[in-house]
Amino acid sequence: MSDFSVIGKRVHNIDGTEKVTGSGKYTFDVVLPNMLYGKVLRSPHPHAKILKIDTRRAKRLVGVKAVVTGKDTLGHKQGIWRRFPELCDEEILCREKVRYIGDAVAAVAAIDEDTAEEALDLIDVEYEPLPAVFDPMDAIKEGAPQIHEGVELNININRHIEWGDVDEAFEKCDYIREDKFKCSSQAHVCMETHDAVASFGHNGKLEVWTSSQSSYYIQRLYADMLDMSESDIRVHNRHTGGGFGSKFELDSAQFPAAILSQKLCQPVKIVLTREEEFTATKRRTPMYYFLKLGGKKDGTMLAKEVRVITEGGAYTAMGATALYLTGFFSSFPYKYPNYRYDGYRVYTNTAVTSAMRGFGAPQSTFVGESQIDMMADDLGIDPVEIRRKNGMTPNYEVPGQAFIQSCGLHQCLDKIEEHIKKQGKLPPNHGIGVSAYGFMSGGIFNWFNTPYAFSAAVVRINIDGKVDVYSGTCDMGQGSNTTLAMIAAEELGVRLEDVRMFSGDTGICPPDLGAWGSRQTLMGGNAVKRAAAECKQQLLEFAAAKMGANIVYDLDIKDRWVHLVDRPERGVSYFDIVKEAIRGKDGVAIMGRGHYTPHRKGMISPAYSFGVQAAEVEVDPETGRYKLVNVTTAHESGTVINPLGIEGQLEGAIMMAGGYGFCEDQPMDEGKILNPSIADYKLIRSLDMPETDILEIDTYEPEGPFGAKEAGEGLTNPTAGAIGNAVYKAVGVRIYDLPITPEKVLKALKEKEKQQKKAKK
Amino acid sequence: MSYHCPVCNKVSNKSALDLARHMIGRGDKVHRDWITSKGFKYSELLALQFSSFGGEGFKALAEVLEKEAKVKD
Repeated sequence: MSDFSVIGKRVHNIDGTEKVTGSGKYTFDVVLPNMLYGKVLRSPHPHAKILKIDTRRAKRLVGVKAVVTGKDTLGHKQGIWRRFPELCDEEILCREKVRYIGDAVAAVAAIDEDTAEEALDLIDVEYEPLPAVFDPMDAIKEGAPQIHEGVELNININRHIEWGDVDEAFEKCDYIREDKFKCSSQAHVCMETHDAVASFGHNGKLEVWTSSQSSYYIQRLYADMLDMSESDIRVHNRHTGGGFGSKFELDSAQFPAAILSQKLCQPVKIVLTREEEFTATKRRTPMYYFLKLGGKKDGTMLAKEVRVITEGGAYTAMGATALYLTGFFSSFPYKYPNYRYDGYRVYTNTAVTSAMRGFGAPQSTFVGESQIDMMADDLGIDPVEIRRKNGMTPNYEVPGQAFIQSCGLHQCLDKIEEHIKKQGKLPPNHGIGVSAYGFMSGGIFNWFNTPYAFSAAVVRINIDGKVDVYSGTCDMGQGSNTTLAMIAAEELGVRLEDVRMFSGDTGICPPDLGAWGSRQTLMGGNAVKRAAAECKQQLLEFAAAKMGANIVYDLDIKDRWVHLVDRPERGVSYFDIVKEAIRGKDGVAIMGRGHYTPHRKGMISPAYSFGVQAAEVEVDPETGRYKLVNVTTAHESGTVINPLGIEGQLEGAIMMAGGYGFCEDQPMDEGKILNPSIADYKLIRSLDMPETDILEIDTYEPEGPFGAKEAGEGLTNPTAGAIGNAVYKAVGVRIYDLPITPEKVLKALKEKEKQQKKAKK
Repeated sequence: MSYHCPVCNKVSNKSALDLARHMIGRGDKVHRDWITSKGFKYSELLALQFSSFGGEGFKALAEVLEKEAKVKD
């Protein structure tokens, strides 16, 4: 039986009632006195010089209060990789040149949205169109149009990872294969589009309400762009309607709203339309993957070499990180003794690619897991067995990169093998594909160059025993506030309903890097746990004095009862102790501070989750259409804080990752996204959802709070690979480019038939 | 034995190949200028790298660095 009182219980999100009743307030709902509404004018050209912007007609329109262009800004460029100024390359309001269809060139503030929209049509922009390039394989060629000055071959950044002696290892291989894959783009499709209410006061201070994954990043990026002190900027994070990696850079709602508000000293609200959300925010990075894999006849893998060229779009954004992580996770979750990765992120005249749930790992997992299945098939080895033979184990060091403490991959493989066996013989045209994966619990890298601890928290206990937790983390719908409240409650020995969360408000919360890279449970959780522990220590000191217990006894608090650990019946009420402790401290509330920054944990992350997924599909060979019948996942994420939360993450991940494998894409024509609406962008909807089962694996992560690690993004990694492998098992065709659409399956089936006929002749 | 980058003095304890990775990877103007001064075209080294397996771009530069990079015992 678990020793925990709160952790491990199935609880609904602490803000669930507000959300399901519609009473929860999002940035979208913020209305301030004298607030104006903003709209943004965007480039219709993929690549062009801005010769002239004439705003006079727009300014004359009744109801228009201000029109701003890049000339109204300081001309600073933003970027998340602040340690590398050359990678801070996005002006947001362009001054001289536009680099994709959707780049912002001007913004209007008016008394209502319709007037602002009307004014956009009255802004005259004179462009000189430039030659454009859309595919990274073209952009990287000598003589391609140059998108940023001085960037050779349009290579935005390159990344290299290597260990062992790859060339020598390939010489020792019995079996080598080379494959080429293409991974497509994907939109985040947050239910709440990007939005912001910016309010400059006459005191020169800026207050912003915005839907974001990192209030601290937004505050800091504003400070850079506006040349302000970060303490003069307060960013509020109310409920956020989804982020998935799209909301931790300064965007074209936030920045123009602030520029307009600065000009007028009035609040300005900008809410991006759904079309803008598809065309003018960031998206998942498309990648060309070239893989070489070698091993022994028995399936032991000796070497892997990976080359990746990614479509960067117009600016760096978080794409540089995706480039690095896709290279690192290309080695996951296996013990390659020799490994080489070369990744190139290439600027193109397309919408910017950046972070999206999984952060480069869904791409590497799709291609890697497809190729391992091909190798297993060629060598006549069971797909689970080949993964077992090479899979990571606890206390494994990825040479020079990472140290993995807890790892339940092999338990996951056992569970999935059991699941597959249980299915018995499948009906015709059904197949089960397997895919194994791992993911990080927050990033160690600090290219943002924060001088602060990665996570920090303050816990305050009030006179009535209620607990306030102040954390700079951001709950974007993933339930982090609930997770952190559970951690605080467990540590303090109170109930979940005793805890109140204050998060993501830079005015009252300590800085935290925010919700990306699946970092909040481990990093934010450690900070909260430590802050709560500091409070608890203060309470127990008072309790020990009051109870007059022999000093050899340890005290603890469980379920609001302060007691001797060895004699739990001897104790006092938590509420009484709190009252007396505060009185004893001259009326000062009990407060504790905690922080967490990983040290000596390698280069990537302090901890990693692992899992294996099995997807069953049913393919109609006449049409190529297929149905996702069942997706079963064995996932280990250390101690499970909230089982209901993990189930929610899993279902959401399958919807998102299944969509990536099955149907989601952003086709373009000359840089223009052709499906910028919910009607045209194909998502997996509720009726398309397969049965989803989760097989829980118990592990304990020493670095995590109460042994916990990530359970958010890792779950998005395996599904495309599992679908690809399942389709192959069902009808014997392999699809090398995402998404695996019925059209591609049908085409491959026809090709297969043609080859078979040819062989017979 | 360690190799020192002739531009920024970054130390590699491994090999000239490792230093070549650093120089091409860093890719800023000063590193590119040094590479150009040795008769290479930076973009061609990159192209060698991304167009084939085997790390050929790194190897080409490493040959020069083997002779030229400051080496300390």
